[in-house]
Amino acid sequence: MRDKSIVIIGGGIIGASIAYHLAIMGAKNVVLFEKNYVSSGATGRCGGGIRQQWSARGNVRLAMRSVRKFETFKQELGWDIEYRQGGYLLLAYTEEEAESFENNVKMQREEGLHVEILTPESIKRRFPYVNTTGVLLGTFCPTDGHANPHLANFAYIQRARELGVEVYTHTEVTVVETSSNRVTGIQTKRGYLKCDVLVNASGAWSKDVANMAGSDLPTESYRHQILVTEPVENFMTPLIMSFSKNFYIRQTLHGSFLMGQGDPDEKPGINYRTTLRFEKEIATKLTTVLPFLRNMRIVRHWSGHYNMSPDAQPIIGRDRNVENLFHAVGFSGHGFMLAPAVGEALAEMILTGKTSHIDLSDFDMNRFERKLVKEKNVV
Amino acid sequence: MRIENHPILRFSRARRFVFFFENQPVEAFEGETIAAALIANGIDTFRLSLRHKRPRGLFCAIGKCSSCLVEVDGKPNVRACLTLAREGMRVRLQKNRGVVGVEDGAH
Amino acid sequence: MKMEHIERPELLIIGGGPAGLSAAIVASNHGVRTLLVDEGVKLGGQLVKQTHKFFGDEEFYASKRGFEIADILVDEVKRSPNVLTLTQTSVIGIYEDAVGVYDRTKEKVFSILPGYILVAAGASERFLSFPGNDLPGIYGAGAVQTLVNQYGVLPGKRFLIVGSGNIGLILAYQLYQAGADVVAIVEITDRIGGYEVHAAKVKRLGIPVLTNHTLVRAIGQERVRGAVIAKVDEHYSPIPSTERELVVDVICLAVGLVPSVELVMQAGAELIYVNELGGYVPRRDFRMRTTVDNLFVAGDLAGIEEATTAMIEGKIAALTIVEELRNLDLSEEIERLQKKLSIFRSGPTSEKVRRGLEKMGIHYEGVSFQNVKQTPGLEHKLKPVIECFQPIPCNPCETSCPTGAIVVGDNINNPPKIDYEKCTGCGICAISCPGLAIFMIQEDYTGNRSLIGVPYEFLPLPQKGDVVLALDRDGNIVSNAVVEKVIKSKNLTNLVYISIDRDLAHSVRQIVMPESKPASYVCRCEDVTVEDVMRAIDAGFTDYEELRRYLRIGMGPCGGRTCSSLALNLLTRKTGRSPYELRPQISRPPIFPVPFASLKGGEEDEG
Ligand SMILES: Cc1cc2nc3c(=O)[nH]c(=O)nc-3n(C[C@H](O)[C@H](O)[C@H](O)COP(=O)(O)OP(=O)(O)OC[C@H]3O[C@@H](n4cnc5c(N)ncnc54)[C@H](O)[C@@H]3O)c2cc1C
Ligand SMILES: Cc1cc2nc3c(=O)[nH]c(=O)nc-3n(C[C@H](O)[C@H](O)[C@H](O)COP(=O)(O)OP(=O)(O)OC[C@H]3O[C@@H](n4cnc5c(N)ncnc54)[C@H](O)[C@@H]3O)c2cc1C
Ligand code: SF4
Ligand code: SF4
Repeated sequence: MRDKSIVIIGGGIIGASIAYHLAIMGAKNVVLFEKNYVSSGATGRCGGGIRQQWSARGNVRLAMRSVRKFETFKQELGWDIEYRQGGYLLLAYTEEEAESFENNVKMQREEGLHVEILTPESIKRRFPYVNTTGVLLGTFCPTDGHANPHLANFAYIQRARELGVEVYTHTEVTVVETSSNRVTGIQTKRGYLKCDVLVNASGAWSKDVANMAGSDLPTESYRHQILVTEPVENFMTPLIMSFSKNFYIRQTLHGSFLMGQGDPDEKPGINYRTTLRFEKEIATKLTTVLPFLRNMRIVRHWSGHYNMSPDAQPIIGRDRNVENLFHAVGFSGHGFMLAPAVGEALAEMILTGKTSHIDLSDFDMNRFERKLVKEKNVV
Repeated sequence: MRIENHPILRFSRARRFVFFFENQPVEAFEGETIAAALIANGIDTFRLSLRHKRPRGLFCAIGKCSSCLVEVDGKPNVRACLTLAREGMRVRLQKNRGVVGVEDGAH
Repeated sequence: MKMEHIERPELLIIGGGPAGLSAAIVASNHGVRTLLVDEGVKLGGQLVKQTHKFFGDEEFYASKRGFEIADILVDEVKRSPNVLTLTQTSVIGIYEDAVGVYDRTKEKVFSILPGYILVAAGASERFLSFPGNDLPGIYGAGAVQTLVNQYGVLPGKRFLIVGSGNIGLILAYQLYQAGADVVAIVEITDRIGGYEVHAAKVKRLGIPVLTNHTLVRAIGQERVRGAVIAKVDEHYSPIPSTERELVVDVICLAVGLVPSVELVMQAGAELIYVNELGGYVPRRDFRMRTTVDNLFVAGDLAGIEEATTAMIEGKIAALTIVEELRNLDLSEEIERLQKKLSIFRSGPTSEKVRRGLEKMGIHYEGVSFQNVKQTPGLEHKLKPVIECFQPIPCNPCETSCPTGAIVVGDNINNPPKIDYEKCTGCGICAISCPGLAIFMIQEDYTGNRSLIGVPYEFLPLPQKGDVVLALDRDGNIVSNAVVEKVIKSKNLTNLVYISIDRDLAHSVRQIVMPESKPASYVCRCEDVTVEDVMRAIDAGFTDYEELRRYLRIGMGPCGGRTCSSLALNLLTRKTGRSPYELRPQISRPPIFPVPFASLKGGEEDEG
């Protein structure tokens, strides 16, 4: 199996992590194609948050495994990716939200995750810059954190290259050749390449790639906007998030604040433009929760895409129509944090047919015929 | 140094007042930016750079380059080139990324 | 009514320089509800800072001083009932849902929904890398003009100016007027960049213009105390034995302007890289319309040029917009203005602009048009291109050609003519030409690269496989090139064949060996040095976008204005990929940092 030719489509964090893990597991013949530059997709546009407090058990497990790997990232890859475990503080503003937080924490604790439930008073004491007006409770997981997504993406790619993976940027896979439900090769502007295994890690373009290979995916892509401020001295350690108020915000190690929100009115499709409305809504909302922001300035605002499946959980594993096609797509707003565990699990699956840490059956594409467990903790 | 006589231009310097830079009084005229007033008084280091702590002053003069950031009345990252000097304002050299006043959150 | 005018103008003009003001006058005279926004304290753009008399056309206020022209235009705008002007107000972005406008005096961001947009935002200054380039006392030329001519404040006593284009020359004159000493103007190429008349004016004042000289480094720990300058050799490298110290307290950089394209980029208009027009410029047609239907441009933003052309372009754009809004035929007036433009641009000093516009398919005839004709149908063939147009008594090209392909004819003064049918591509003529005016060119070489044979008479002679710098006719470095072969010749005119991006086949005419640059700052916001960039490129970050993200270049509050062109330049030098290939950085709003407080809702609900 290790000599088989494996082609990966997509040079974001997911494709890069798969390439790296295949290479350290000994795969000899791995080629990665990226139609743009490394981190040009969602990865280079994301918030970089790393959280384990999920409502769906499968996500908690994947995230916990990833955190293990982020903790050893520097030793393992030799790259400092500005990783910091400052925790995630989730704020509940409604009774219903508070109740579901308490249920989530119960499940998360069953999985062995250390999570605290905080009263508004203790939030005020520990994070005095938060205006707790209207907050009913908070949950705080100290091992959650964040990292620099560009650096993490570059680290995986560079290490993969050093281990022999061929990486071609600015090279789009334009045709996938199949014969009797198997992928036989792919076409780029550089020519034709025969392959034994094809991996779809194409993020927002996941459905297009699946279609090229003669299959299909129930995924759609939605624009998400995000903005960043001028840097100031570091003081806010946790990433702060609310689902009902619809926001997340963190301070990077470099000092600037990154923040975003979802937009329920967004239409599916690729759209890189930004709206002034977003800046106004974020400013109005967040200067209330974090009043110190009033004197800070926005320096940049951009957008990227969430690739969404019907249950807001990823699709990881073998295609059900094309047998040598694998997917790692549909990561919604949390593909960055899951990438280490996903790369490891999918590489194992491709090379050995089984996984050692994660049960991928929660994420297979046949689940959409079963009853869905929707991930609710998303912005 | 302020230009007193110019062959072509006239500079109206109506109202004179004082503000403070690093606690020292600085003379300014109405309509002058913080940068213009400081430079007129021979002060041209406004901040220390982020990584290497190098002295930095005015460079583009139109708010585009981030070289002239100062702290004004406790607020960091104020552009000296665009902000008009005001009587009694306290301007400080910005030595780091700037510290935001977080006590604001306590209500 | 006023609110409606601000929030939903028929035409929004961004920038109140000569281009924007002229457009506003035309539009309002036709009754178009126009809003003009400028971030300066005063309207007039570059004009307000200019104390000298302008050249150009009587109709466009020639021989008036810059600030006087501004006053005339502003008066006319103020008298017009249909224009509303906002100053100290920056357009922060052209967003999907609205144009964002930040009023500095009220600390408030407004949304505007215009029918048409004319962007006339002008240009910003280039930065330069040299050791100590971040010290206090180093200013852009525009900053010194602002301090001196607007505030009446001299930032020092003794000045060194880098760059002898019109801006450097005029600045020297203005500083002299303000009572300062200008110790020297240094110019790295062998000729003064600006108009001869401007140079003569400065020279008459005893200010030396040192051509073939460069600034080596700034002296001083906490601020500028002096500068080291040196002569340069033919590769533009400083010659150490010629270094000397000047005691100066200010160094002004007047090394060129870059069109401010951020807003048009955000609006989705296509940009193209045209070195002759200042870098990346919006693609636009004769009527100044970009590739976005209701988005027009005019002035320095459309290509670095002159106030006169900025005013004409502004008018043409406005007339076109009026035509569409009011369903009128104004083609006669537009024709008249087009004619003015083509006369203006026909002179030898507009040669560069003509060449630049040609790249967008916009053709202006020059009076002594340089024959850099493409050779259609012969792209696959290696052949000489003869750039010899002045009648001079000379004919070695004719006599050296073994196949009789080149004919000068009976009168030795005739410029040579070539018959490509007979030519075998041997290159002997190029070696023989005493004027070094013959270049061997094969447009279709490999892939999208062309082969160019350049006559070369310097040491060291490059070797096959070397990466060298490729220069255009004005001595600008436009790209790197790979040496494909070197033909040594007995007469010591060697032919060096290089391969280069195909787009550059008709602009590259010189090569130099690259020099190694000492440590200097590229990015002020993040303290990124030239060394940092070089190291990152060596580590494999050869894609501009990856490099930016790795080093955070262009991510600081300046939005990349000072650093991105420097970083692109380094990448071009190091990798040999031309800026044509290295696509422009995406521009992300806001282009001016805005406080959250100014965006906060509440106020709007009341109105
Ligand atoms: C605003 C925003 C904030 C976010 N915040 C977070 C967060 O805080 N934490 C978190 O974990 N996640 C976050 N996410 C989600 C996260 O960014 C993504 O889930 C993750 O980056 C997905 O990685 P990927 O490699 O699958 O996709 P991408 O990074 O998009 O990579 C896919 C790549 O495939 C390439 N490609 C596509 N088609 C082809 C083809 N035919 N040939 C060649 N190449 C092709 C694309 O060019 C692209 O580079 C955020 C996302 C956004 C948009
Ligand atoms: C030293 C010097 C000497 C010159 N001498 C001559 C001469 O002798 N003859 C001649 O014909 N030309 C001369 N020129 C050139 C001439 O001044 C310019 O070509 C001309 O001013 C260009 O006009 P413009 O309207 O395109 O841009 P500008 O004059 O640069 O005006 C642009 C305006 O846009 C505003 N703006 C930019 N961005 C924004 C934003 N985001 N929001 C709001 N406002 C914005 C700016 O504040 C500015 O006022 C000279 C230039 C210089 C620098
Ligand atoms: S290349 Fe040779 S054949 Fe062609 S014109 Fe020159 S000398 Fe004549
Ligand atoms: S030899 Fe050179 S200079 Fe003389 S006519 Fe021929 S091309 Fe012109």
